[in-house]
Parts: sequence; C-alpha cells; structure tokens
Amino acid sequence: MSRAWEIFLARLPRGARAIAWLGIAVGILAAWLMTPPVMLRSPVVPVLVGAVAVALGVYAFTRGVRRLGAGAAVFGVLGAGLGLLTTQSGEANLEGVVVWSALFAAMLRYATPLIFASIGGMFSERSGVVNIGLEGMMLMGCFFAIWGADKTGSWLGGIAIAAVAGGLLALVHAYFAIHLRADQIVGGTAVNFLALGITGYLFIDIYKDTGTPSDIARIPDVHLSFLKDWYFVGPIVGQLNLLIWVGLATILISWIVMFKTPVGLRIRSVGEHPRAAETVGISVYRTRYAAVTLSGVLAATGGAYLSIGFVGSFNQNMTAGRGFIALAALIFGKWRPFGAAAAAILFGFSSALADRLPVYSESGAVLFRSLPYALTLIAVAGVIGRSVPPAAIGKPYVKQ
Amino acid sequence: MSDVEPVGGPEGESDGAPSSAAARLAVLQRVGGIVTPLITVVFAFLVGGLVVVATTGKNPLTTYKAIFDGSGLNWLLPWETCSDPCTAALNFQQTLIIWIPLVLAGLAVAFAFRCGLFNIGGQGQYLVGAIVAVWVGSSFQGLTPVLHILLTIVAASLSGALYGGIAGLLKATVGAHEVITTIMLNWIAVWVGIFLFGLGGPLQNDTQPWVPVSNDVAEGAKLTVFWGDPILQGLHAGLFVAMGFLVVFWVMLNRTTLGYEVRAVGFNPEAARYGGISVSRNYFLAMAIAGLFAGLAGSLDILGWQYRLNVNDIQVSQVGFIGIAVALLGRNTAIGTGLAAMLFAALVTGTSTRNLDPEIFRPELASNLTLLIQGLVVLFVGADVLILYLWSLRRKARLGRAAAG
Amino acid sequence: MSERSVLEMRGIVKRFPGILANDNVSFDLKQGEVHALLGENGAGKSTLMNVLYGLYRPDEGEIRIGGKPVQIGSPRAAIENGVGMVHQHFMLIPVMTVAENIVLANEPRTKGIFLDHAVAETRVHELSERFGLAVGPRDLVADITVGMQQRVEILKALYRGADILILDEPTAVLTPQEAKELFEIIRSLTAQGKSIVFITHKLNEVLEIADRITVLRRGVRVETLAAEGATEAGLARLMVGREVLLRVDKQPAEPGDSLLQVEGLHVVDDRGIEKVRGVSFEVRAGEILGIAGVDGNGQTELVDALTGLRRSEGGHVVVGGKEHRNPTPREMLDSGQGHIPQDRQRRGLILDFTLAENIALHDYCYPPDSKWGWLYPRRLATRAARLLKEFDVRGGGPQTRASSLSGGNQQKVIVAREVSRDPRVLIAAQPTRGLDVGAIEFVHRRLIEERNEGRAILLVSLELDEILSLSDRILVIYEGEIVAEFAPGVSEEEVGVAMTGGGRREAAA
Repeated sequence: MSRAWEIFLARLPRGARAIAWLGIAVGILAAWLMTPPVMLRSPVVPVLVGAVAVALGVYAFTRGVRRLGAGAAVFGVLGAGLGLLTTQSGEANLEGVVVWSALFAAMLRYATPLIFASIGGMFSERSGVVNIGLEGMMLMGCFFAIWGADKTGSWLGGIAIAAVAGGLLALVHAYFAIHLRADQIVGGTAVNFLALGITGYLFIDIYKDTGTPSDIARIPDVHLSFLKDWYFVGPIVGQLNLLIWVGLATILISWIVMFKTPVGLRIRSVGEHPRAAETVGISVYRTRYAAVTLSGVLAATGGAYLSIGFVGSFNQNMTAGRGFIALAALIFGKWRPFGAAAAAILFGFSSALADRLPVYSESGAVLFRSLPYALTLIAVAGVIGRSVPPAAIGKPYVKQ
Repeated sequence: MSDVEPVGGPEGESDGAPSSAAARLAVLQRVGGIVTPLITVVFAFLVGGLVVVATTGKNPLTTYKAIFDGSGLNWLLPWETCSDPCTAALNFQQTLIIWIPLVLAGLAVAFAFRCGLFNIGGQGQYLVGAIVAVWVGSSFQGLTPVLHILLTIVAASLSGALYGGIAGLLKATVGAHEVITTIMLNWIAVWVGIFLFGLGGPLQNDTQPWVPVSNDVAEGAKLTVFWGDPILQGLHAGLFVAMGFLVVFWVMLNRTTLGYEVRAVGFNPEAARYGGISVSRNYFLAMAIAGLFAGLAGSLDILGWQYRLNVNDIQVSQVGFIGIAVALLGRNTAIGTGLAAMLFAALVTGTSTRNLDPEIFRPELASNLTLLIQGLVVLFVGADVLILYLWSLRRKARLGRAAAG
Repeated sequence: MSERSVLEMRGIVKRFPGILANDNVSFDLKQGEVHALLGENGAGKSTLMNVLYGLYRPDEGEIRIGGKPVQIGSPRAAIENGVGMVHQHFMLIPVMTVAENIVLANEPRTKGIFLDHAVAETRVHELSERFGLAVGPRDLVADITVGMQQRVEILKALYRGADILILDEPTAVLTPQEAKELFEIIRSLTAQGKSIVFITHKLNEVLEIADRITVLRRGVRVETLAAEGATEAGLARLMVGREVLLRVDKQPAEPGDSLLQVEGLHVVDDRGIEKVRGVSFEVRAGEILGIAGVDGNGQTELVDALTGLRRSEGGHVVVGGKEHRNPTPREMLDSGQGHIPQDRQRRGLILDFTLAENIALHDYCYPPDSKWGWLYPRRLATRAARLLKEFDVRGGGPQTRASSLSGGNQQKVIVAREVSRDPRVLIAAQPTRGLDVGAIEFVHRRLIEERNEGRAILLVSLELDEILSLSDRILVIYEGEIVAEFAPGVSEEEVGVAMTGGGRREAAA
C-alpha cells in the first residue's frame, strides 16, 4: 500500500507543471463560483479569478511548460467567460440547470457507453490495430441487446447476445486488418456501414410495425439504500445502473491487466514492436485477434447499456457518433484506462449539461446537442498535450 | 538503432517507403484496372443476395431486377420499349439527379484521399453547402437569374471549402486526425442545420411557423430542367456542372503543380518535404478543395430540385457517406468515381419507396440493403490487398527471372 | 574450444521469389568457438541464420543440434533448442524497461496472473553479474546507449537458456571502444561454454575475434577456414571473387572559395535531446569534406538542419553568400544546394511516381516544367529521358515507376536529379548504402567528377573506408561536436580513436 502511495506522490507534478495544473483548476473555479450552491453574482469575480488562472498559465508557459500553460490560460479565459455568462442568467434558471448532483448522475449515465467503448478501443489499439469501427460495434450491441432481451426475456441474455454480436463484427474487422492487411481505417469505416445496414435491416424487418417492446427487460439499478440520503453523494451514487458500476470496475480491471500482468505486457509489446514480440515467441496474429475481438465485446456491452440500460428502446443509428467520441477519449487519455475514462466522463458531462440547457431556449436546445461533438473537436485538436500512440499502430504486420 | 544493412529483399526487413492508403489504392488501380472493382461489386451483390434469401426467402435475382428497373438503367437498353409516359425514362432522370451530388461527394473524398487524407466529412461539407445555398438562394429576390445562381453556387462551394478547410487546418497545424475531426464536424453541421431551420430557428421560413423548413429558393435561382417535367422533378442543368467538375478534378490532379504536390504528399509526405513541398499547406488545400466539391453538390441539389431544406432532410441525408464508398470503389480516379457514382445512384433510386414494388421487396429494407452493399464494397476494397500481394509476388518472380537469365 | 559440434546445418536451400538466397549451404559450429560468417551484402548470411532461428523455413536441408536432427519452425522452437539471436536491428521495445524486455514471454508471476517485477529484476541482475554484462534493469530502453541495448539483447538470449548465440553484424552500431568491450564479452561467454556465430562483412573484426571463418558469396559457401593464417586481402578475394580495389583514383584537390559555411549550429532531435552542439565548419569549391562518426552522434540531425528539414535552435548556415536561419527545404534548394538523402526510398524518391515525376521533384514548380501552376508532363519526360541516358540508368524509362528499379539505379536517378540542378553545394548522406559494388563505384566516380567541376561537396557517411578514400579533408563528429580534423593520409586507427572522443569516454555506458 505504501509503495502505491509512493508512486502516486512521485507522479504528482512538480514546479512549473504544478503551477500550470493549478491554473487550470483556478480557471474552473472561476466558473464554478458563479454556479449554485455558491452562486456569486458579481461579474468582477469570474474576471478576477480567470485573470489569476491566466497569470498562472503564462508563468508556467514562460518556464517551458508550454502546452499545459497555454491550457491553463485558455481555461482561465473560458472560466471567466462562462462565469460572466451565468451572471447574465436568472437565478431560478441557474438553479434549475446546475443541480450538481443530478448533473453528475447524468454524467455517469452518459459516460458509461463511452467508457466501455474506449477501454475496448484501448485493447485493440494497444495491440496495434486501429479501431474506427467502435461505433458500429456499439450499434450492434444496442440492437442485439434489445433483440436478445426480447427473445430470452432477461437482460442478462440481452447483454450476452449483444457481446457476441459485437465480438463477431470485430472478428470481421480483425480478419481484414490482420490477415488481409487491409487499410485499417477503411476497414473500420466499412464495419460501421455494415453495422448500420445490419441493425437497420433487422430492426425494420422485425420491429418496424410494432416498435421495440416497451416492456423489455431492462438492466436493473443498484440501490444503495444506506447511501441514498447522504448529502450530495447520495443522489449520485445511490441509484446507479448496474452496468455503470461494471463500467467503473472495468476501468480498474483493464488497468491491472494492461500494466500488471504478463498478458498486458505481451499485448503492449505486439503494439509497440511486433517483430520483437514475434522473435521471442509471441504470436502477433493471435494476440491481435484476441484484442480486437475483446474491443468489439466491450463496445457492444456499452451499446447494450445504451439500449436496455439507459434509453429502453432502439432506433436506427442511435449511437450517433458515440463510438468516435469514445475513440477521441482514448486518444485524449493517451491510451491509458484512467485517462480515457476521465476523458469519457468529461464528454459525458457535456452531454449531461446539454440536456439541461434547453431551460434557456427551446430552439437553442438543439444547438446544445452539438456540445459534445464540439468539445471532442477541441480535445482532438490537442489543447492538452500531444498523445503518443503505440509505435506499431495501424501498420499491418507481415509474418515472414 | 542504426540501419547499416541494405533494406529490402530477403536479407533484411523491408521498411522502404511508408505505404499510405493513397499509394496502395493507386497500385490497385494500376494492377486491377476495371476488373477488381467489378469483382468487388459482384462479391458485394452476392453477399447482399444471400442476405435477401436468408431473411426473406425471396429470390434475390428478382429483387435485383426490380431494383435495376426501378433505377431506370433499363432505359439505356436498346431492346426495351417505352410506353408514354415512359417510366423508365422518369426513373433514369431520377438516377441522374442523384448521380450529380454523389459524384461530387465522391470527388470530395477522392481528392482528399489522393493527398493521403481520409475525408469522412463529406456529409457535413455537403450540408454546409446546402444550408448556404438555400439561404442565399432564398434571399436577394429580384436578382438576375444567372447572377443569382452563380452567387449561390459560389457561396455554397466556398462555405464547403471553408468547412473542409477547418479539418485540413487542424491536421496541418496540430496534426489532429482528420477522421475524428471531420466526423465531429459532420454532427455539428447536422445540429446547426436543425437549429437554423427548426421551429423558432433563425432561418426558419416566414410563412408557416409550424413547419420546420427553410424558405423556398427564389424562382430565378432555380436551375433549368432540360429533360423531363419540372413539376415532377426533371433532370436539371446541374448535370453539366457535375460533369464539368469531373474534368476539373482530373485536370487539377494531373496537369497542375498543385495536383503534383497533392499526389506527392499523398504517396510519401517525407519525400515531398525533401522535395521542397509544404506538406501542411497541401493538407489544408486538399481538404478545402474536397469541401468545395461537397459544398457544390449541396448547392446543385438545392437549386436543382430540392428548392428548400427541411429539418428531416438534414437528418436523413446520406450523400456524403455514400460518397466514401463511391470514391473507394472508383479508386479515387475521375472515371472510376463517375462510374461508381452511377452504380450507387441506381441503387438508391431503385430501392426508393416510389420505385420498388413492396410485393417484391420492402423498400425500407431495401435501403438498408443498400447500406449493407455499401459497407461490403468498402470492406472488399480492402480484400483487394490480396490481389496486390499476388501481383507483387508475380513481379518479383519476373524480376528474378530477368536477373538470373 | 572443444572438437564437439553443437550445431550442424547441412545442405540448406532457401528460395525467395526470383532469388536463391541459400544454395546448398552447410555450416557447423563447435562448442565454445567463435565462428564468423563472412560475406558481402546479399550473400545470404542473415538468411542462413534466420533459418536457424526459425524465422524462415528452409526449402531443403536439415539442422542438427547436439547431434540430433531438429525442426525449427518458429523462434519459439529455436529458443527451446538453445539457440538465441541478437539481431542487427534490435528487437527491443523502447517504451518498456530493460527487465520487461528481457523477460517478455517468459515472465515470472505471482499468484499465477500478476507479473512479478521484483523477481524479474533479480534474475536480470544475476545474469548480468554472471556474464559481465552491465545493465540497469529499471532503465527504459529508449534512454540507454546503443552499447547497453546490445547487452540487453544478449541477456535476452541468455535468459532463455541459449547455448548457441547468433550475433548479426553486432559492431555496426558500436564505437570502436564498445566493439572492444563486446569482444571481451564474447570471450567471456565462450569461456563459459557458449558457442557463437558472428555475422559480419568487416574483415578486420573477423581476424580479431573468430576461431574459424566461413565465407559466403551469392548464396554459396565458398570456403571454411581457420582464422589463424588468414589475411584481409585473401578474405576479400574470397568474398568478392576478384581483386578488390580498396581505394579510388583521384587527383589532389584544388579548393577555391568557401561555398558553405556553418556557424555554431545547435540542433535538437525529436525527443528534445540536443544532438548537434555548436558545430562550425566550411566547405570550399572543388573539395570533398567528409564527416566521419559512429551512427547516432548527430550526423543525421546535422544534415537535416543544413537542408532545412529540421529546425535549429541556434547558429546559421551560409550558402553561396546568403545567410539562412531555420530555412525551409525550398529555401535551401533555391539557394543552390543539392541533397542526396541517406534513405533513398523514404526521402529521395516517391516510389509511386514515374521517373520523370521524380526527377522533377524539386523543380516542378518552375519553368520549363510548369508555368503559372500549369504542368507540362511532356517537358518533364524529355528532360528525364536525357538524364536517364546520361547517367546510364537501367530498368526503365521516364514513364516507369520508381519502385520498379533496383536500389543502384534508384540511387542513380537521385544523383542525376541532384547533379543536373547544378548546385553549388552538394550534400551526400550515406550515398552508397545498400548498393552493390558496381553502383558504389559509379557514385564514387561521380562525386569526384562533381568535385572537379568546382562544387563543394559534403560527404557524411558511416563507412570509414568511403570517407577515407573520397575526402580531401576529414572531420570527425562525436556527441554532436566536431572533435578532430584530419588530412587524407590519416590511418583508420587515428580516426577511430577520434570517433570515440579521443579516449575521453568512459568504458561504462
């Protein structure tokens, strides 16, 4: 235990980097102070606090920590801007929108499919295979979970069938990418088209006239009665869906597997230097097949949560780009489970916020739906650091 | 880790030049000519047929024949007679109307591909072009038609170019992967469009506040219909614009210094840099030009037959995505894209509710079947790598025989 | 060294499309000996050993280890039979630690599923002590020296219980000092009963370390002989099949004005490490300045900065009287600089372009190739045809794709392009890498010709022979600095000493 603490302390940023992170935190503070429950109303506050953040950022920048420093400055400006915006809005509206506990609960609900998909993507990409098809695999999970739950009468059956469907689609991608050495991005795009076609076709064929059953077996929530009345934490975690907990557990488990077991070491070696792995006797093909299939299973599980855990029904193309947002989260998180999950939670937060913003404007509500995509765009544009992917990613491996 | 031994051949690992998607597709084009795309299509239809049999038990050939007739391609066959009014002619007009945006969307993907970029943002760029076209087209009432049309088309194309240029700029400056950025831009365009024309939106039409649709394009801005009945959506002059831009595409790539640079960067960015070419500038330009093609497609659709933009249209449109399959099937060449666009246009028309007899096959299913075939085509383009591999083996053997003999 | 054979390879035949890489080759290894496998590039040495290590399957022939016939279908099988290989291009994963690299695929575990880092490090430590191979188990491979990386590779093999070690061109990446250390290690290994196959094309090494030598030429075993009594000249004749001209004929130089001046150049590599630390020199018209050094001492970054392919953090370059700070490649091209790059397939050519398009790679944007952005392919083709004939490029015409040509002809195309632009300054980086003897002779002759025409030529090469035979002046680069200057008659030993920092460097890495 103490060793883990040692490592944690050693990993904390020092010096100028710490200042930059502080700047980012202060920037967030500039906006947060203006929201309930604190809800200060003077416009001076966000400007001042934001200025502090910018100053910290500039300081860090001049000390050589360029990306984070710039990020802190950006956060300072954004925080000040957001803070100023909130002063423009009515208190009642603010209190309606910014209910932190509800926001956080919604954030977790939106983030879970992303978490599953991005962790799945991590396994695939760490083994060296780009997986643009996460979207399609998730969509397969969405539909087949409903169909499976319908046919078997249980949500467990739904998840199981969804996982198999996602795994099979992933197997197709794996075959084309590994054995046929096709371009992996083209293959991933094809997989997405296929998933759209298959799920759409089957949906119309089976459910068009009646729609998906409204009494479909849903994944249950986990009621933690002893927590429910705790201030702030209660409403968030007291009644979360089972799969949200599974998702959070998956983050930890995947971290352990990837960095603490021989399995993870071999996967990473295949993704960094497949020739080296082959020369010590690791089968590159088999490892990649396994990793890609796993990514399909995980992404489909995320899709299953989306359909039978969150929404309760299916409509065509219901993933709406989530698979790609998950991929962006993975890149943002530098191909590490905790980083990817953190990014996924951030994107989930933006979706949760976008849900509540329609309080301000009905037609504007639609515009807010683009918030997660815009955020992803900014993230991918590299506001915070350049990610280094596994060295051999995307390059088909040629066995001698 | 140094590299003293010669690279290439059996003695050492062949790292050689980086193999970009553009390079591999180019080899496919040389190697296979028209044969491999044909095989790809046949394969895809085969699998599609299997799906038809497996799920509906119906004869796939009758389904395909019905789709073929529905597309109006039978109008081209000399032995088919035509009663009056000629449905085959009507269908063919429809197919051509769809060919126009598809070929341009395909060129949008193809041009970027030649520069080594995967432009999945054709849909967003198309929408941006359509939005700007409907806005400019419905404003400026009373402008002379020629001027109005020109203004609209130019504005739409430039907007598309700008939209594509965003992704290009991000790639050029911070190296952001264009696949993700363009997909995000797609969705942003969709939501912005829905916002603009939705209930209470700033560009919603002036006359019917309960309908989420734009204003109609001015009469003078509509493109002339030269074949068929304008009331029933005849074929419009945009056809010539599209054909013209097919030529422009070829000329730009093969007869200009810009095209030389784009192709060089697409094949080998490192060597292009060494040659003095600015890689980032070309990334930006390639995406911008790609966006221009897609934006143009949007404007031609609006001015040619849509005349207005409905919130539903925005959500349902798939032009940009089909463009991806078109470009890949057409191997990113001008002629290939033109032909591939014709295939997919026929598929879309042939499977539409208007043209497909529900007794033979349910149209909503059929449109998903099209999606399936699309996906299979894109997937099998990758399978051509096998052919590439076999070809390279044959070539090595030939070289070896020449060296030994 | 005992008389017992630990390894016998009999009648090995290996074919690749169009090439017979191993033609009925037999090879045996006695216990405790160092057996050198000598031959030119492409002779079949690496192929033979890749067969032994299971990376290739032989078309015919058999392998016996310890007297028993074995089937080696994969590296795993080779490892199980006690064969270990240290490849020329290291098979190490830069982002992982030394210990992780060594134990990969044979990891010690706790509770069956967790990786036991502590045990791994201990085992690495034990092995390293036993065989005298100093490494730091927790270091990241990306951060350690090349010499230490090689030791890690050897430990990898020993960790898996290798008794037969194959070393593929091990000294290619080492300084002379590190090479000496390696030979010590080899002697220590053989003293402990290991048997070693030493693949190389360097004659002097062979005589120093080997007990026996097998010479391969064009896939055929020419002879196996004892190292005692062998001579360099004799070995060279066996390798090549004829008398080898080791030096190029040339008249003394008559240098004129200074055409290239480099002042205080500082260059940082992709990882932020300063690779060029204040380099200054000049090259005059009509002379060849050679820069010698072991790979990784900053030559690549220096050439990159001079040609505008990499930014510099300080200093400037003057070409033909014009000063450049952080130029773009186009600027340097336009100011009269030519560049024969060290990697012709990655940089020098666009393999999917035709020869005509490749020859136009720098000048496509100027008349007569183009005007106002409009390209004239026919003019490209005409010029290409002329140049291809002048430089005797075989294998195709202006419309042939560059990928169809052999390495030597590809290099000729590049040389043709660079020289025909009439540059004031010509920078040649590794111009003869991977070329056969005929192509090497051509390039060398051409460089001398251009120098006689009055160009300033900067030659950067890892082959000391090349530098010594072509240069009119020789500089040595070591850890990013110019540490010595020599006149042409200097001996290899003197230059070699300078290449290691003149003995300044410590033995431990």
